[in-house]
Amino acid sequence: MPEITNRRPSDAVEVDPVTARVHDTKAGLAALIEEAEVARGKRAESTSEDGSAVCAWNHFENIPTFYNWNNRPR
Amino acid sequence: MIREWSGMRGIAAVPTYVVMQPTTLCNLDCSYCYLPFRAADKRMPVEVAAAVASSVGAFARAGRFSVVWHGGEPLAAGREHLGALLAPFGGSVEHHVQTNATLIDDAWCEFFAEHDVRVSVSVDGPEARNGERVTRGGKPAYDRIARGIEALRRHGIPFSALCVVGDPRPGVAAELYSYFLELGCEVLGINVEEREGVNTRDNRHAAADVTAFWAELVGAWRRDPRIHLREVEWSLRYAGAVLDGTADDLLPRRLDPIPTVAHDGSVVLLSPELAGFHDPRYGDFTSGNVLTTPLGEILATAADTPWIAEFLRGVQACREACPYFGFCGGAHAANRYFEHGRFDMTETDHCRNSKIRLLEGVLDHARDHQPTAV
Repeated sequence: MPEITNRRPSDAVEVDPVTARVHDTKAGLAALIEEAEVARGKRAESTSEDGSAVCAWNHFENIPTFYNWNNRPR
Repeated sequence: MIREWSGMRGIAAVPTYVVMQPTTLCNLDCSYCYLPFRAADKRMPVEVAAAVASSVGAFARAGRFSVVWHGGEPLAAGREHLGALLAPFGGSVEHHVQTNATLIDDAWCEFFAEHDVRVSVSVDGPEARNGERVTRGGKPAYDRIARGIEALRRHGIPFSALCVVGDPRPGVAAELYSYFLELGCEVLGINVEEREGVNTRDNRHAAADVTAFWAELVGAWRRDPRIHLREVEWSLRYAGAVLDGTADDLLPRRLDPIPTVAHDGSVVLLSPELAGFHDPRYGDFTSGNVLTTPLGEILATAADTPWIAEFLRGVQACREACPYFGFCGGAHAANRYFEHGRFDMTETDHCRNSKIRLLEGVLDHARDHQPTAV
């Protein structure tokens, strides 16, 4: 599927094209998401007390430089 | 009618981290760097750090709080001075450093361990891909970068890595991921080169190339997902939330102000890349100075800064116009300004390279690797 080029959602549709494409890819995504969860567990990302460079998953936004998705420093 | 994403409305009064510039100086002269004063050694006085520290105590009580020592090259400030800047902060904050690694030696490793500083290094992959990372004399810096990283490994100090990619295309991603696996970093962030600050190089690439780059990166990561790969993690987190019907909860309710405190105490919000620049229309982009106004007070009146008010209108425009908003949260301020000269327009080349084509690449990979029924 090519990059979505119709950027302005139409009033006539219920679901935006990005959300629709995610749902259309559900089977492939589900496997990927499951593998990512397993990998996260192996990286011991469930705790922020281990002194590692990786911080807790539930503090995702609060790992400066790396994780803050919006307006992160680079 | 499509629902409107509810996050990213206004600016949070409490940040989750502050970016500090201990010196403007960098001992390298990377060709893509955005920093305007990196040849000058303007050091942050301890009074500036103390003023910030007096404000962040309240922030840290509200939740986890981090201080990011950025640059210039923060280690160019020297251990003694950086230690003096860290001293006013209590034990309730995390310290992070983003470094080019060239100055890291045994003594710095001991400093990191003693002060519990989390380390992130900047390296662009194998030696041949570090051609842009050069010394002030124009010589390749890779050997020095590699020596610094080796010191971290020798001391058992975990580290993250940031990699700038100037030519995102198929064939590059797998090579990069393989390199970072070997390097031993725990976390990796991929930054497609951006046009910002004093770096005015074009950053437009063929859409198919960039999308294929990200798709290939997902495939490489999937074969050995030891590294926490920022872009893949965020994309899968978003996709999972869409499938769960919780995507609207994902974006922060308000934008993190991300105060950047320059060496002289001046504060630039939202985009560190704007620090040090001046525009006839927007002035110097600062919202105050911690030497005269408490940081909390500066943050409380953030929206009064004219360019920030314009930027917030730009975020709203993104929300209304772009189907990727729930994933992205709106184009970054610096990219808007340095690509378009203002803050209230929407899509940037950075959006295309690092958000839109990233998500499309992840979805392409998922589409092409659907489980097959047996």
